[in-house]
Amino acid sequence: MTAPVTLLIAALGGEGGGVLTSWIVNAAKDSRLPVQATSIPGVAQRTGATTYYIEIWPQTWDEVGSTPPVLALAPAPGEVDVFASSELLETGRQIQAGYVTPDRTLLIASTHRVFATAEKMQMGDGRVDEKKLIQAAGDRSKSHILFDMEGASKDAGAHISAVLLGAIAGCRSLPIEPEIFRQGIRDEGKAVDANLAGFEAGLRAASGDIAVKEAAAVDRYQNVAPAAGMAARAEAEFPAEVQETLQHAVRRLTDFQDAAYAGLYLDRLQLFGNADPSLLIALAKHLAVRMSFEDVIRVAQVKTRPGRMARIRAETGASGTDAVTVTEFLKPGISEFCDVLPEGIARRLLALADKSESLRNWHKGMELNSSSVTGFLKLRALAGMRRWRRRTWRYRREQESIQAWLDLIENARQINAHLAREIAECARLIKGYSDTQARGTSNFARIRSALIDPALAGKIDADGAATQISTVREASLADPEGEALARTLLLSGERDGETRAAVQ
Amino acid sequence: MSAERSFSKEVGLLRLREGEEFHGEGILAVTKALLQSGVAYVGGYQGAPVSHLLDVLLDAEELMNEMGVHVETGANEAAAAAMLGASINYPLRGAVGWKSIVGTNVAADALSNLASPGVVGGALIISGEDYGEGASIIQERTLSMAMKSSMWLVDPRPNLTSIVDTVENAFELSEVSNTPIIMQLRIRACHVQGRFIAKNNKRPPINTRARQKDPAPFEYAKLAHPPVTFVQEKLKVEQRLPEAQNFIVKRSLNEFFSGDIDRLGIVLPGGLYNTLIRRLTRLGLADDFGKSRIPLFVLNVVHPLVPRQITDFCAGKNAVLVIEEGNPEYLEHQINTVLRKADIQTRVHGKDVFPMAGEYNASVMHEGLIGFIEAEGLGIGDPEVIRTEAERVKAVYEGAQATFPATLPPRPPQFCTGCPERPVFSALKLIQSEVGKVHIAADIGCHAFATFEPFSMGNSILGYGMSLASAAAVAPFQDKRSISIMGDGGFWHNGLATGVIGTLLNEGDSILIIMQNGFTSATGQQFIPSSTEGRGGRASKISIAKTLQSLGVPWMRTVRTYSVSEMVDTLREALTTSDKGLKVIIADGECQLARQRRLRGENAKKLEAGNRVELLRFGIDDEVCTGDHSCIRLSGCPSLTIKPNPDPLRDDPVASVNNNCVGCGLCGEVSHAAVLCPSFYRAERVRNPNMVERVLAAMRNSVIGWLQGGAT
Repeated sequence: MTAPVTLLIAALGGEGGGVLTSWIVNAAKDSRLPVQATSIPGVAQRTGATTYYIEIWPQTWDEVGSTPPVLALAPAPGEVDVFASSELLETGRQIQAGYVTPDRTLLIASTHRVFATAEKMQMGDGRVDEKKLIQAAGDRSKSHILFDMEGASKDAGAHISAVLLGAIAGCRSLPIEPEIFRQGIRDEGKAVDANLAGFEAGLRAASGDIAVKEAAAVDRYQNVAPAAGMAARAEAEFPAEVQETLQHAVRRLTDFQDAAYAGLYLDRLQLFGNADPSLLIALAKHLAVRMSFEDVIRVAQVKTRPGRMARIRAETGASGTDAVTVTEFLKPGISEFCDVLPEGIARRLLALADKSESLRNWHKGMELNSSSVTGFLKLRALAGMRRWRRRTWRYRREQESIQAWLDLIENARQINAHLAREIAECARLIKGYSDTQARGTSNFARIRSALIDPALAGKIDADGAATQISTVREASLADPEGEALARTLLLSGERDGETRAAVQ
Repeated sequence: MSAERSFSKEVGLLRLREGEEFHGEGILAVTKALLQSGVAYVGGYQGAPVSHLLDVLLDAEELMNEMGVHVETGANEAAAAAMLGASINYPLRGAVGWKSIVGTNVAADALSNLASPGVVGGALIISGEDYGEGASIIQERTLSMAMKSSMWLVDPRPNLTSIVDTVENAFELSEVSNTPIIMQLRIRACHVQGRFIAKNNKRPPINTRARQKDPAPFEYAKLAHPPVTFVQEKLKVEQRLPEAQNFIVKRSLNEFFSGDIDRLGIVLPGGLYNTLIRRLTRLGLADDFGKSRIPLFVLNVVHPLVPRQITDFCAGKNAVLVIEEGNPEYLEHQINTVLRKADIQTRVHGKDVFPMAGEYNASVMHEGLIGFIEAEGLGIGDPEVIRTEAERVKAVYEGAQATFPATLPPRPPQFCTGCPERPVFSALKLIQSEVGKVHIAADIGCHAFATFEPFSMGNSILGYGMSLASAAAVAPFQDKRSISIMGDGGFWHNGLATGVIGTLLNEGDSILIIMQNGFTSATGQQFIPSSTEGRGGRASKISIAKTLQSLGVPWMRTVRTYSVSEMVDTLREALTTSDKGLKVIIADGECQLARQRRLRGENAKKLEAGNRVELLRFGIDDEVCTGDHSCIRLSGCPSLTIKPNPDPLRDDPVASVNNNCVGCGLCGEVSHAAVLCPSFYRAERVRNPNMVERVLAAMRNSVIGWLQGGAT
């Protein structure tokens, strides 16, 4: 029985979904097929999620005669023949709404992600699990064509809508020949070459000819020769499963300070050499990150690395004689300033700041041209201060804090491996600059006094505490105001009270 | 007329002649139908889904001049509705369009005063129904507005031929019954792409090139003023209503479709016809060409109903189903009354099988039909087909639900990349972290996107331009001053009178932020009184600041929106100053979409001529970023995103600026104002640099390269 071919397109506002719809409608029109398309551009505006819906009657107007078919204005769940989507989360959304079904739907979707605000704004990792989305795309469709359309469109220099059109044309589920689509692009006369290139890329991908590009691994640390000794030591002293992390870590810390500092790292880790592998791996990772803390010296090191200018030039698309100027946004305050001073002076300065609000709130907003020779030299001088880093106040504080954290883990290890691992993971909280860094540090302090110390003192059950630490850690990454953390700590406190009461 | 889109191609469609095929969007088909009906004037106020009606006519200035048609953008919907007053005295056909229900509400006063004396020239209101999926406004139906004013409401089947025929018929109906007509078009009908066979345009007999010599004579009966209003109220029911009903019957505006299961029937407004047919087809009760086995009574005119048509259709049937969105069920009530009075015992189903609220989409329609079939016995159609279809729909629903355990993150519309309004909310977030939360009265416009994450700001939205007025009784009860947000579009639409003047009159002490971006941007960048460009290069350029000065606003600052620190300082001053009275901050920044469109053109020309072009963008050193995402929580820019952490020792994704960045500068401003991390950098690429720049760049590269070559 003849029935309309139904096509649902999911896209983000501004991606050219409207243009794509017009291309398809025009191609149907040029094939003399009855066609109807609708959309709700009211929400398509301004990068929100939106859909376009097209129905094509697979007989020409001549075959249809005087009574036109009645075509639906909106898609119905379970009644979509071709579902095309320019983004993976939107694919998931429409699958969840029932527009992709195993009995009927050919799914054409891009594997790339455009993250939603709700995913981006989390303090930790708020991303939706891509694997689940891709799994669902396969499970819920009759057949599927999945590839990175963003990559394909970049390669072709075309809009993603052109790639999507090619894939739709190539899936051969519409009663329209690919050549008709090509002609439509030519007739439109806008960015014809780019659109055709995008179209052909989509067409090839739809017929299974998909080039997969492997991302090249980046090694940032150029001066690795001095790390060679420590690399060999790591290899000799530690088991195979931590080698990847260790090899990276010793190079990172040699770059950060020097080979001796990488040696300190290995010394510290050595104490946990016989720990269970999962703790050792976590510790190796977190310790390396904590030891390469973000002081202004490190920022300057990063911003003066060879190759950085070339990377930024490429990012801007600069070529040939194009001149590129890079401006850094730095705003060190009194605490960043004190960080790089010796402890005695720093303490005296901070004591003054305690009394003076203007000094306490003092920040120097700088827009530094790092592509100029003087700007570069300033950063370079700052980076060069790493020679004195060991004498800075920040270094002292960081080492003490790291040691205290290691001691907690070591103590916990005697009681409960789970507890030790959770304390190690708390390193994730301590990151960032100024307020962010202070917030993370104070969150860790709260967790320590509420859970870690009582657990180590045997006042609460160690395994229970470990589980709670994990919950509370997630809560402290839920909102910057610390409301979720306070709530969760309160709850766990209440539960402890109840448990203790029950035990007594 | 809009800056966002040119309708030059569509203007060509308006010139199609008798017999030619029109292929295009629903709302453009309406526009063509207006010209085919000999319309003399068109007005309206922008708003999805009807903006294009006016946009395309304004772009068709030349054609309008040839035809002698007057086109005008109303200052708001009330102005547009009042424009229909021309048809009270003169045989001029006029049409106006807006987004409903909001526009109809704004227009209500003028509409009542139009409907009471009635019209001699056909008057048509194109009502874009922003109801259901994707709607951006409160969910109410227009029918009650038509009923209370005794205006007729037409609701054509959503195909272009029916829509165009209905426009033409509506003008006649309006003239025959001296009554203004509302034509409601649902969002998808406005945007439906289809075809119809065109007719020639008709030049209106009285037009801008063939003017009337004399004004209409004084006729008290044409005024909406007592005592004639009492007469007019009677005229509506005693004269105009029967005339309309006769015309509806005579011209078969409503459609009857026969079917073999004639013990049943379905009554529905035209707008829902396509959805119903597809559901009936799936249940084996219709074919794809609209041949239904259950007889249908399609109301292309929803108000007024014609009792004779109802009794004719229902007589002899066991039951009818009335399909009608919204609450209360006006059609069902009326049909029940008609049948009761005629003593016809046909059962009436409707809201017993359909939900009281919400759009009747495919799933709802399916459930309603199954409910009707179950209520009237399963002997209808092929029970096996119906059972299989019901099971299939259920399985689809369950299968989809089981796909993911949790709901996926939403993706509402948001401020565009580089939007000038975003920094204002960054500043509002920063000042509130300093002084504490304040009451924020939100408004309609792009700035309402701040109600979404990452800003989540706004305590109420009371309508377009109403924010300041809505804070009138909030401010006196708050310790801290309240802040009202208003766009320049909303300011001119309503906010100047209801908000600013109202606050000055009452010596209110609160803060108003006016987003001055130069357009009504959310609806497609239509020009407004303060736009610096305009139709055909003409612009009214009415200054908001000067307007406020002339009103005597005591405290006013204009701040460039991207200057976050300055905005924070200004807000602090406004919140803490001992000066009483209204404080206005004009947040000045051109709509970035408009700006980019202009720049693209200008830069392309410069490049072609080999001239110097500066291109700005921001970037992030991912090694410096620790993945805390504070910057994102203060910005939410689409181009400020995240990417997997390239550092093998870290798990949380790092912030990243993608290629869509337009270099608005917010990232730099925020990292300074909020003292964020030093990850951000601004990269300025100069194409076709001048000789000094070239030499300087070469020198810098070689010196820095040499320095980097040495050991650190």
